[in-house]
Amino acid sequence: MKEKLINALAEALEMEPSQIKQLDTFRDYENYSSLTELSVLAMLDSDFGVEIEMEEFNKYKTVDNLIHLVSGNSSK
Amino acid sequence: MGLISYCNVGISGIAAAVPKQIINNYEHDLYFKKEDIKEIIDKIGVKERRFADKNTCSSDLCFAAATKLLDKMNISRDEIDLLIFISQTPDYRMPATSVLLQERLKLSTSTITFDINLGCSAFLYGLTVAYSMIIAGAVKKVLILDGETRSKVYSQKDRKTGFLFGDGGVAALIERGERFGKSWFSLNSDGSRESLIKINAGGYRNMSSNETVMENVVDEYGNIRSDENGYMNGADVFNFVIREVPKDFYRLIEYSGIEVPTIDYFVFHQANSYINGFLAKKLKIPKEKIPSTIEKYGNTSSVSIPLTIVSELKNKLDKHKRLLLSGFGVGLTWGTAVIDMDGCYITDIAEV
Repeated sequence: MKEKLINALAEALEMEPSQIKQLDTFRDYENYSSLTELSVLAMLDSDFGVEIEMEEFNKYKTVDNLIHLVSGNSSK
Repeated sequence: MGLISYCNVGISGIAAAVPKQIINNYEHDLYFKKEDIKEIIDKIGVKERRFADKNTCSSDLCFAAATKLLDKMNISRDEIDLLIFISQTPDYRMPATSVLLQERLKLSTSTITFDINLGCSAFLYGLTVAYSMIIAGAVKKVLILDGETRSKVYSQKDRKTGFLFGDGGVAALIERGERFGKSWFSLNSDGSRESLIKINAGGYRNMSSNETVMENVVDEYGNIRSDENGYMNGADVFNFVIREVPKDFYRLIEYSGIEVPTIDYFVFHQANSYINGFLAKKLKIPKEKIPSTIEKYGNTSSVSIPLTIVSELKNKLDKHKRLLLSGFGVGLTWGTAVIDMDGCYITDIAEV
């Protein structure tokens, strides 16, 4: 699940998977913007079936947070 | 609830008008550098849009469309007994613009007129009101005039919204006819999300003042707007739409009992190409069944669904066709409809 999330996040942010570390704050990435945020939300929905309110999503800061999110939600 | 079905009432003709001034978005570098706006435009997919000039209102675009429609279809002005004007950019705060259009179009003084103040879902709301009034026996022919000059709402110095919206107006004639068969609608609202797309000042909660028209830098990106400009939280709207619009789609399909493959065209509100592309993928709809005008007219709010029908489906609705309509936006409000079209008269798009 960790690897799948990192690959999907890299694709959404147009980065290389090797640039993404579990303890990084993804919101601090240079490629994270209001535009690429849409790609992250889209990725969570289509790749992991995650439906999340923005108020909740805004609390997620790190790659590790996202791994936990998709591990709890995904049936895949 | 919010689920409604009708029998033997439908759209017999549609006309559209757009301003003649074309904004080429990639060249629209009044306040931002070309390389910065390219990233935005590539994502939202709006290459061109139309801007009304200072003297042109939503009502003027609708008037041009309505005149063309009534003349081409040879409909006498006396036959129209209900005129509904849909817009969030009316001529005045009062009187209602629909009343002004009754006079301009030389409709009878026995015409029922009122405005509907809703955004991107509003064409669906307008259809249900028109259909209901006809089914109730109150009226025979209804003119829905749906117009927007969103270019006057959003700050061109705010990159979150400055490249998205365009102007347009349509006129649709609604009447009885056995050829229309059954139609189904689902309509929804969620006022807890009222702040996601909003003009905060200029109404009666925060009345117009020197402060409300003052432009301010509003975020760390240097975007500039006033309290009387529109604001949109794109990520929150996107997140809501990708969750709720598919749910409503399936809710309506279940209610109607129809099979998705029997639908010939899926006409979505033209929000931006990223949202629309995502919805198409999630709903697994073939691309050739999804007409789009986001590239040439941008997001025209409530006008986008009928404008897309006029622009992309002219000459394709001569014979019986089934359409699914999906509108979503400010309010938030959203809705889905399945309607049958048969011999719908569609004009060329007029330029004003």
